[in-house]
Amino acid sequence: MNEQCCCLSVGSTVPDFKVETYEPARGGFGEFSLGSLKKKKRWGVLFFYPADFTFV
Amino acid sequence: MGSDPTGAVSRMFGVYDEATGLALRGTFIISPDGKIFNAEVNFYNLGRSIEEILRKVKANVYLAEHGDEACPVNWKRSGDLTLKPSAKLVGKVYEATHKK
Repeated sequence: MNEQCCCLSVGSTVPDFKVETYEPARGGFGEFSLGSLKKKKRWGVLFFYPADFTFV
Repeated sequence: MGSDPTGAVSRMFGVYDEATGLALRGTFIISPDGKIFNAEVNFYNLGRSIEEILRKVKANVYLAEHGDEACPVNWKRSGDLTLKPSAKLVGKVYEATHKK
């Protein structure tokens, strides 16, 4: 299915990326970037999921 | 909740499934310096253990503050026994982790 060749792995440094977000606490759109996490000196958990309303 | 409409971020982390256009159930723990310390990827039909993810986050935070220690098998929380890797510990990990 997918090769593990050119993507990140444990031990790699993640290049800065950003994604548009929806923030339920504020009720609006925002932006998350890895750089902002680094500035706040926080650990982060990136949680991928395939689609809304799956049975899992 | 972040959006990845082109799949660029999913591809960067190796969880984009070209066959379906979906992301696999991947979880990555990233340090404040931007380094990946843990990765876990499940197929679609297996949900993750949040307890395990939290355990790993707590272990990483602990280990970042205690650079000379290691968390042995089944370490659960701060306060549990840790190991100090050294030449003296070689061959003695079982004894070190099963003292009464």
